[in-house]
Amino acid sequence: MTADSAVQPGARQVADRALARGYGAAWLAALAVSGALIGLLVWTLGAAWIRGVGVWGVNIPFVWGFDLINYAWWIGVANGASLFAAILVLRRHDLRTAVNRFAEATALMAVVCAGLFPIIHLGRPWLFYWVFPYPATTELWPQFRSTLTWDFWAISTHALVTSLLWYVGLIPDLATLRDRAPTRWRAQVYGLLALGWRFSLRHWAYHQVAYRIVAVLVLPLILVMQSTVAFEFASTLVPGWHDTRLPLHFVTSGLAQGLATVLFVAALLRRTLRLERIIDDADMNLLGRLVLAASLAAGYLFLDEALSTWLSDPVRQRAGLERFTGTYAPFAILAFLLAVLVPQILWWRAARLGFWGPVLVGLSVNAAVWCDRFSLLIGGLQRGHLPSLGGTYAPTLTEAGLLLGTLGLFAALMLLFARFVPVVALYEVRHDEHQERT
Amino acid sequence: MAPLFTRRATTRFRVSLALLVMGAAAVAALVFVWSRSDAAWRVGAPAPQPIPFQHSLHAGALGVECRFCHATVERAADAGMPSTGTCLTCHSQIWTGASVLEPLRTAAALGLPVVWSSTHRLPSHVYFHHGAHVAKGIGCATCHGPVETMAETAKAETLSMGWCLGCHRDAHPAGMARADTASAAVPGRLPAPTQPLSPLADCNTCHR
Repeated sequence: MTADSAVQPGARQVADRALARGYGAAWLAALAVSGALIGLLVWTLGAAWIRGVGVWGVNIPFVWGFDLINYAWWIGVANGASLFAAILVLRRHDLRTAVNRFAEATALMAVVCAGLFPIIHLGRPWLFYWVFPYPATTELWPQFRSTLTWDFWAISTHALVTSLLWYVGLIPDLATLRDRAPTRWRAQVYGLLALGWRFSLRHWAYHQVAYRIVAVLVLPLILVMQSTVAFEFASTLVPGWHDTRLPLHFVTSGLAQGLATVLFVAALLRRTLRLERIIDDADMNLLGRLVLAASLAAGYLFLDEALSTWLSDPVRQRAGLERFTGTYAPFAILAFLLAVLVPQILWWRAARLGFWGPVLVGLSVNAAVWCDRFSLLIGGLQRGHLPSLGGTYAPTLTEAGLLLGTLGLFAALMLLFARFVPVVALYEVRHDEHQERT
Repeated sequence: MAPLFTRRATTRFRVSLALLVMGAAAVAALVFVWSRSDAAWRVGAPAPQPIPFQHSLHAGALGVECRFCHATVERAADAGMPSTGTCLTCHSQIWTGASVLEPLRTAAALGLPVVWSSTHRLPSHVYFHHGAHVAKGIGCATCHGPVETMAETAKAETLSMGWCLGCHRDAHPAGMARADTASAAVPGRLPAPTQPLSPLADCNTCHR
């Protein structure tokens, strides 16, 4: 059986999209905008690289600003999307046909964005390899109790398993593109990436095992790595950070954020690539409900935050109160409103199946989690213990450029992904279409 | 249609993957060896000097004591370089017409020091005190090697952080006595410490 004869109408539509000659002016315009934002990112990273972290608004007691807020935020997208994709693979859930490929891609691109921050925030980013335990002439190992080394392991493991999950799932589709490529050199590029896939039964059997092994790896690692990010705060003695509930808070809100991003990307792809047949109403329906459930869980964790503040010691209480009543209270309140109240529109079927409902919820939950990370990192710190620490934190333009720039990087990577590889798994679509016919 | 890849493409692909891995391992091994080599640390590489000063003649053949020129080595962080006047203690009497000493006479006439090139550069993030080391019984030769045999002065050890830690992690008196043979000849050397030393391998012992 060749791939060609097996390609069904839906699958052919997706494959042809990746092989199309042009991709339209809108795609080019979007790529140009995100390219400009990448330019901004290079500029702001360069400023921090050359001038040092003094170009940021961070200062005692606000030792961490946009660098760590954005890091925790991007890694949340990556964690949520990876966790979701891995569970779908392991459960062989029907939803995986529609969403797995771009959920995995979302996770991978978010890891790329997140990975920039721990490096640039070192202050001397060119010495980042010092966190890696290599046999140095200093005869010192990195400080394994330092969160900097935890970051290194979390990010590198994350990048490894996420790219593996994405790539292993992609191999049969690269072979399909190889067989359908219009030009010889494109066929050779796809052929090289397909690693000699020949659609044999043996290949499929190995593929299933490999895909599921990687998915099994993702599950515990995601929980560990998201907890690692939380421990970076929890292992300090800062009131409001020094909390055992923090890993759960990060995992849960990260899951809501990842799911909301997947929902957002699904709505965009469905509309722009006319994929209503593949990402069908049932898929959007289910995805919408999942986001709703995850946002309710995140809401529960927000309430738990308030409760644990109330029950804790006076110092912790003061830090918590500061978050909800101090200068940065709007961030804490916005986090709750945007993460919990806005997704409630998903109770309506029409909102789940439409275009603007998922887009609104996707943006809203992501903004909410960003506000939550801001509130956590900045909001509770304002009450210093010395009179000289009475200042407030405001990001500099350079820091704002980091956020905008990584958004541009993410968008550009997703645009290139949608351009050059099938946005949904062709073989799963073929399988579904085959089952429908028989 | 011609096949996409030749019959040998798979073999080539696998071989290049293997070569890539081996290449990476080879680069890592190369960096490991090179970063520990004398060349990387300029061990044994003399610097160009304004005057062809010979430690082998002064400290070796003539037996001038180290502290005669490096006068602050027992008291200060810096061992001290001889002033023009120190050189002229003798050279106002001997070799007064030697052309190689012209920079010395020029410096003396202008009231400036002779601009020697450093062979031992201390990084700015390291705090090193010569006096502390001499007081604890570390002789000059432990770090600077057999200077009295050097016609051209050069580094004898890497002076890498790992090399410093070699003693700082194992600073018992016997270890120092073993490492230090030339210092026994230095008069006025203090007896080796008998008490356990302060935690010498702490970061802030050297990085303050």
